[in-house]
Amino acid sequence: MTSQHTIRRRMAATTPVLLALILLAFVLAALALGDRAIARMAAETLIRVTMVVGFWVFVGNSGVVSFGHAAFGCIGAYVSAWLTLRPEMKATLLPGLPELIAAADWHVLPAALAGGGVAALVALLTGAAILRLSGIAASIATFAFLAMVNTIWANWTPVTGGTSSVVGLDRYVTPWVALGWAVLAITIAAVHASSASGLALRATREDEVAAAASGIDRYRHRLLAFTLSAFFCGAGGALMGHFIGVINPDGFYLSLTFLMLAMLVIGGVGSLSGAVMGVLALSIAVEVLVRLEKGVRVGAATFALPPGSQEIILAVAMILILIFRPAGLMAGREVMLPARWVAGQTKPEN
Amino acid sequence: MAKLGIFDLAVRYGKLTAIADLSFTVTEGERVFISGPNGAGKSSLLSAIAGAVRAAHGRIEMDGEILSGLGAEAIARRGLSMVPEGRRIFAGLTVLENLTVGTGMRRDRGAVADDLETVFTAFPILRERARASAGALSGGQQQMLAIARALMTNPKVMLVDEPSLGLAPKVVDEVYDRLCQLQGLRGLTLVIVEQSSARAARVGGRMLLMRGGRIVADGDATEFAARDLLTEAYFGGAA
Repeated sequence: MTSQHTIRRRMAATTPVLLALILLAFVLAALALGDRAIARMAAETLIRVTMVVGFWVFVGNSGVVSFGHAAFGCIGAYVSAWLTLRPEMKATLLPGLPELIAAADWHVLPAALAGGGVAALVALLTGAAILRLSGIAASIATFAFLAMVNTIWANWTPVTGGTSSVVGLDRYVTPWVALGWAVLAITIAAVHASSASGLALRATREDEVAAAASGIDRYRHRLLAFTLSAFFCGAGGALMGHFIGVINPDGFYLSLTFLMLAMLVIGGVGSLSGAVMGVLALSIAVEVLVRLEKGVRVGAATFALPPGSQEIILAVAMILILIFRPAGLMAGREVMLPARWVAGQTKPEN
Repeated sequence: MAKLGIFDLAVRYGKLTAIADLSFTVTEGERVFISGPNGAGKSSLLSAIAGAVRAAHGRIEMDGEILSGLGAEAIARRGLSMVPEGRRIFAGLTVLENLTVGTGMRRDRGAVADDLETVFTAFPILRERARASAGALSGGQQQMLAIARALMTNPKVMLVDEPSLGLAPKVVDEVYDRLCQLQGLRGLTLVIVEQSSARAARVGGRMLLMRGGRIVADGDATEFAARDLLTEAYFGGAA
């Protein structure tokens, strides 16, 4: 029994390693193609992996759908921008910033950590109220939170620049930087999921009454996951800002919320591998369709999909997945090495 | 001193009164069956004791400590565990995860391993299926898992809501055998909701008969079977 348990734990530990290797292969393949656009697509995909894995830490384990995580991305992106933009630029663009922040000229790494950290702090404070609600009420409250953050950011012009974009962010995010963050997010998410707190949270997802009868404090475990989750969404937002170089409150609003949800649903909300695979599948599909819209040359002729068909095809694909594979591509399973590889000997399976 | 004391407890759902000023005490190590017709308030009583349902008024004490007003998880941490009606196992988790999930609050880590061994010995099928998804177990196995899960929180008092629900008689026999065996082993105080008074009489213990949110009879389960109290409880009159 104990040895079986050990094997199970070792198998679970292979999941983040395998996911990291898959992402590494993805980056190498993208770079090997030698196309700058594809390299950029790879970096963007990995930033999304960071965000969606963060998103999964809360949604996947708690079973509570959140519509508010794009707001943590917004907070992370702006915090990083505030800390890294050159002081003279901030004086003209964002005159309302407090002295200390206006003078800050941080390195990008601590700024990204600070972006995640501030997002996590905001999650801790708002989650303390939101997570006392249960089920759909909590989801609606997260949506209200998203709308509030967007409204504040769009109107607090001296500090956020309002609806006009903040420009001039240091574009340091290469596919390798994004890979580093994605692997970190996956590792922390796997550690959290296999921890006592992660397990307790999944129990509350299965049955709230029975979880309470087992002495599980739902609120505490939810709040921990919400905070951790916001950290990676915030850090992902910071990376996104430094990838594009321009940030704007609407870049972290409804379309990002729905994109993150779509990626999670397509990959399968039941597992960490689902979150990662959903991002990869959707990002690659979008890239292919965008290229097809631009036109592919076959011999002398050029074939092109009509503009707008990308959205329609993706929507249809999503509906088909929801009908035929409602638990997502991974259907709640994790990628892991088979038991006998891990144990180093033949063991009967189940 | 009574292990568990219920004093003037009332539970209301809106205007409907499920439990009306009910009082009883249970001594340590006792096995108490709660029986009665549908709607008598048996499940409401257990839920109120476990903190899953808020009482309108009244007091619930365990070892002299007042439990009423605490949340369900706080009550579980103090050593009162409930096996809910319909089992309610965590279907998406493995059998082993179901068993260990409630132990996160325990400080006696070494004892957790011993307890796991105890429940695996009592329910060998759970050891066999430890890595299987709990949702894949049969009804009887799920009931055993629910009981084992409650035991893993190291309770002093365990409430079991209708363990025989939807199970074949032979399986019910097995569930009760194991439950009594574990009670003896752990010195548990058991409060069990059981529709079948014949079953309660066979297992043996004290029996409280409920009707309309009140206790109408209190005595030895084997004596109940011999008397007409049950008929009275179901069809009217007072005991």
